[in-house]
Formats: sequence, C-alpha cells, structure tokens
Amino acid sequence: MERPVDESSGDAELLGAVAAGRADALRLLHQRHAPWLRARLRRRCADADVVDIAVQDTFVAIWKDAHRYEATGADAAAWIWTIAARRLVSALRGPAHRWLGGVAEPLPDVATAPSAEELVLLGIEHGDLGAAIDRLSPELRVLIQATAIDGLTVRESAKLLGIAEGTAKTRLLRARARLRELLT
Amino acid sequence: MNTVSIDGLGKRYGATPALDGLDLELGTGVTGFLGPNGAGKTTLLRCLATALAPDRGRLRILGLDPAVPAQRTELRRRIGYLPQNPGLYPQFTAYDLLDYVAVLKELTDGRRRRAEVRRVLDEVDLTDRARTKVRKLSGGMRQRLGLALALLGQPALLILDEPTVGIDPEQRMLFRALISRVGESHTVLLSTHQTEDVGALCERVVVMNAGRAAFDGTPRQLINRADGRVWLSTTAPTGSQPYWRNADGLYRRLGDRPDDGRPAQPTLEDGYLLLLHRSAPARVAR
Amino acid sequence: MSGWHVDEGLLADYDRGTLPPSRVLAVDTHLLACASCREQVRVDPVWLTGNWSVVFDALHEPRSGPLHRFLRRLGLPEHRIRLIAATPALRWSWLGATATVLALAVAAAYLGRGGMQVSNAVLLVVAPVLPVLAVATAYGPPADPMHEITDTTPAAGPALVLWRATTVVTVAVVMGVVAAVLLPGPGWYAVAWLLPALLLSVGTLALSTVIALPAAAGVLGGIWLAGVGTAVTIHRDSSLPLVFGRTAQLGYLFAAMTAVVVLTVRRRRLDPGETR
Repeated sequence: MERPVDESSGDAELLGAVAAGRADALRLLHQRHAPWLRARLRRRCADADVVDIAVQDTFVAIWKDAHRYEATGADAAAWIWTIAARRLVSALRGPAHRWLGGVAEPLPDVATAPSAEELVLLGIEHGDLGAAIDRLSPELRVLIQATAIDGLTVRESAKLLGIAEGTAKTRLLRARARLRELLT
Repeated sequence: MNTVSIDGLGKRYGATPALDGLDLELGTGVTGFLGPNGAGKTTLLRCLATALAPDRGRLRILGLDPAVPAQRTELRRRIGYLPQNPGLYPQFTAYDLLDYVAVLKELTDGRRRRAEVRRVLDEVDLTDRARTKVRKLSGGMRQRLGLALALLGQPALLILDEPTVGIDPEQRMLFRALISRVGESHTVLLSTHQTEDVGALCERVVVMNAGRAAFDGTPRQLINRADGRVWLSTTAPTGSQPYWRNADGLYRRLGDRPDDGRPAQPTLEDGYLLLLHRSAPARVAR
Repeated sequence: MSGWHVDEGLLADYDRGTLPPSRVLAVDTHLLACASCREQVRVDPVWLTGNWSVVFDALHEPRSGPLHRFLRRLGLPEHRIRLIAATPALRWSWLGATATVLALAVAAAYLGRGGMQVSNAVLLVVAPVLPVLAVATAYGPPADPMHEITDTTPAAGPALVLWRATTVVTVAVVMGVVAAVLLPGPGWYAVAWLLPALLLSVGTLALSTVIALPAAAGVLGGIWLAGVGTAVTIHRDSSLPLVFGRTAQLGYLFAAMTAVVVLTVRRRRLDPGETR
C-alpha cells in the first residue's frame, strides 16, 4: 500500500507521501531543503530567530498544503521557496519584530515589478545587468529582489521590508526606471 | 549488588497461591521467565512493577523497598512496565498516549517531555505512526508502542510481561531485535511462553512452576539438563513422556532411552519440558 | 549559465553576507534552479535536529478542545490539563449518559406536574448518585483499561486519584445544578441535593480504601437509592422535606466531614501497590 521513501526519493514523490500524512517524508524534505532555505532567508532577514521560525513554519505549511502541490505542477523547490518567502513575511509580523505595520492605502496588485525573465532579457540585451544592480540604491534593490527574485507581491514585499505598501509601489516604479536608465 | 532481591515472596488469590515463598536474586542483563499458565510469572512481575502488594516476603529492587511509600514512588521513577494487557486507549494517537504517560512519569516540562516522546518513538521505530490512532495500529505496532511507553523516562529496569504474545512471526522477530537492543543498556525482566524468545534474548532464564522457581540458570544450563535424555525412535512411548513425530517419521522422545533410540540434539524446549515433568513428580517415575 | 555552479568559497561569502548584491541575486536564482548546489549548503546538524523537532511537535501537538482552553484559562498548567483530559470518565459517552439521566429526570418533573410529588423528586434522588458513578469511573479497573500502566508511574497514588475524582465530581455537579435550576418547584430544590452528593462522593473514596472502588460506589449509591428512593415513593409529601430538610442536611455535612477525615487518614491505601 505505502511505498517506502528514502533519501533517493524525488521531491515530488516526497510531497506526495507528505500529502498522505507521512511524517518521515516531511523529515526527508526538511533535511534536504531546510539548509538552503535558511541560507537564503538569512539574506533577507538579519534576525536568525525569525529565520528559524520561518523555516519551521514553512515545513508545517508544507505538511498542511502538500496535497495542493500536485495541482500546481511547479518545480518542487520553487514551490517550497514561495512558501518560505511568505512564511518569512508572516514571521516578521511577530510582535517582537521591527515591522510596525504602517497603514497604507490598499492598492491593487498590478504587475509593476519586472519579472525575473524580464531582468534576464534586459541583461542579455544590454550586457552588464550585475553592475547595474550593484549601482542601484539599496532601498530600490531590495524591492527588485523581493518581487522579481523571491516572487512576492508588492504588498508582501512591503511587509517584508517594513514599509508602507504605497511607498513600495512608488519605489518599485523608480527602481524599474533607474534600472533601464543604467542599462542604456 | 543485585538488581532485584526476592525473599520468601507469597501472594494468594483466595485459596490459590500464585506465589509460594519465592526466593530469587536477579542481576543485570536480560532475564527470561518461562513457565506454564498460572505458574506465577505475571503475579511476580506485577509485584516487581509495584502494581500489586505481596501478602508476605520482602522485595528489594534497585536498592529500594516497594513496601515503603516514599521508596515505592522513587522506584516507579526507575521502572518501565509493560503489562500483559496494556489496555492502550484506542482513541488516542500514539503521540498523545506517549505524551500522557510522560506526564504521569513526571515529565512536566513541555519541551523536555516532547523531546522524550520523540526519542522513544524513534527508538521503537514508530515516528511515522505518531499520528495514527491506537485502534488503527497493528498488533506488533501496539506492542512497540507499549514498549515505548515503558521506555519513557529512561528507566533502569524494564519489566515486560509476555511482550511477544499475539504478534505475527515477522513482527516478533523485529520485536525481539528491539528488546535485544534495549537489553544492552537496561536490565530487562521478561516473561514469555516462547522458549525461542529465551534462547534468542536472555542471558539468564528462570522457570517458574506453582509459584516457585523450578530452575534458575543460563539457557545453556537448561539445555544441558536434556543431555542424554532426547531420542529419536521408531516407536511412540507408552508413558506420559512428551514426544512428537518429526518430518522423517521418527518419534522424538524425551526421558529414558528407548530400545532402538538414537540420541538427538537437545534444545531449550527439551530442557524446559523435562524440567516441568520432573517438578510434577506424580507423572514421571525416575 | 548552464555550466556554472556555486562553489564553496562563493557559498561561504554568500552565507557571511559579504557578496555584492548582484552576486547574491545570482546565487539566489541559481539555488532555486540547481538541486546539486542546494545540497552544497551545509548546516550544523544540531540546528537541523532542533529545527525539525519544533516542526515535528507542531504536527503532533494534541488538538486543544474547548474544555482544554477553558482549563487553561482557569490557570491550570498544561501537564495537569493533560492528566485531567485523559480521565476515563470524561468521555462523551459518559457525559452523554449523565446528561440523558438528568434530562429524563427534569422531563419527568414536567410531565408529572400537578400530579404526584414523586416525579418532582426523581432528580433530587438521582442527582447525588451521578457524581458517585463519575468517581467510580474516574480511575482504576474496569473504567480505565490502562490502569496497570497508570498505577506503576510515579504519579500514581492518592494525588492522582483525588485530582481525577475532583474533576469528574465538579463536572457532574455542574451538570446537576443546570438540570436542577430547570426543575419546577421550590428554589431550594436546586441545591438540596449538593450535600448528599458530596457525602456520597467522599464516602465512596473513603470506602474505596477498604474495598474496590466500583464496589464502594455500588454500596453507597445502592444504599442511597434504596433508602431515599423507597422513602420518597411511599411517603411522598412527608419524606421529601425530611430527607432534604435542615436537620438532614446538617447530618450529611457532618458525615461528609467524617468521611474526609477517614479519607485523609487512610489516603495511602488509594495506591494499588499498598497492602490492603
């Protein structure tokens, strides 16, 4: 009835087993993915405790949501990362943290952010994308990072960075314009 | 020092003596209790586990006297007991049951308790079944869960009453391996009907009969008692000696040499059967 | 990009946070795409185990029902709630049975209204016995199939017995009071049965230091039902004020106090490992 899972099992197979309520499969996923998730999340948040909580929350969320994975059909690592990035945003909402929850005007989530593909295209078209990103001011760069690389919405990015949503949207538009400027 | 000292232990149920002035000294390692039903194995283990007070005699377990309330409580901190019918709540999950018994074992701090529950789940290889309700576990898994309950709190002495009863052969092998592993770090007392269990697990075997110890020694010594008393013959015996017919059509007989008897390799079971026959003197004339 | 992989040095710089932003982005995106580079990321096994254990506990944390939350609000520590929640008597089957008996008693009072006093007294006679039944099923055989394991833990003994008994008696009494308030008739009905209930419950515990708990419950519950039940049936009007009157109540109180003393003196015998 149940196929055994081990270190050689693929991510999708493990997620399937997790969906069937198998804690050993989740443990294997944790062993495989927790290290890099932690490393990546640490580049987004300096508070190690918050990162640890986000990693834990990620796997609890995977436990509950693994049955949804099949439907999305996405790459497992990407799917897990999406969860982790959002869990970090939630973990930052913890009472002891710096995010102050500035009340912003609710904005529609229009696609103001350049997609990762767009960035790559820009890079190919205009060469030195790396240099352009390095020259971008940090407050603009982190928004590019949160939206294009981490796949967060503008609202989530704002929460992650602890800024108002309206500010995030304005900065993103500026970032985009500045990036084009630097690349031409 | 001996782990367990038993001195003149007696317990009656109505007019029937279950333990009849038992004297025994037990050391470390795995000790097996063999014996027919009603021999007093369970009563003895229940007395040792502090589930039952003897009518007479003295016990000293891990240097403590269970008749003294304070020492009894201290003793309970150091004993893990798996009864014959553990009666695990069917509606609990394995994890909840362990969590509950861990509270009973004074693991009141949540973090320490959960760590201990994880440890024993891992030890009996049930981590993956932690969320399964007891009623949905197989017999072998339930026994493993019972053992995990006994292991909570790292007791120095494990008392297991018929732990291999009612589980299928494959699970029994797994369970034996588990007890053997546990026996490396704990003193284990276990009762069983299976002479194979004793041969596979125990450094020492006590055969109980009618509330007393009929034999106390190593499994090897018990086998040796059957030396020169096991035969293969073409004829069945006429007396009350135990025998059976093997696959070759020969009768495997215990006791005195039949006329055409060829000696056979004795087993633990032979030693056990001969011993019981001897301790029922009316049945066998020497 | 296909031939490019994250090497150890780059990963170490990434981890320390010393990489220029564009390189961070490059590692970010590459990690997402490349399983073998993800495997290169090493962590302290102690961290991994610790992180996993929190996840594992979160998956297995016993769900806390309304009773659980209520008890926590009362300030009971978590481990004590776990003990109480596992009390055999606190099953839905038991709660349901108690509620049914009380509901029937109340219904009998309404249906028999204007007629005989007997139906009105059913609740008063039955209610004190319910906590006794609760106590009898709070621990030990046969109500608790796990009693052998429970009995051989360091928590076994008088403290555990009293915690459980108190819990179930409280639940039974609360249910009884709710039923009694619904009862038609004089207001004192609602509380008249409380002292008899206390006496019978404590008396059962005290008697259980001599005989087995279910037997003790049977003896006292039986005496009450037979004695009071008969009296109320035969002398409807006169016996009710007598049995639940002021003098009788004082008697119940005095007897209950005596039972408390007996229980206190003999409490050690609530331990199954004690010679009887």
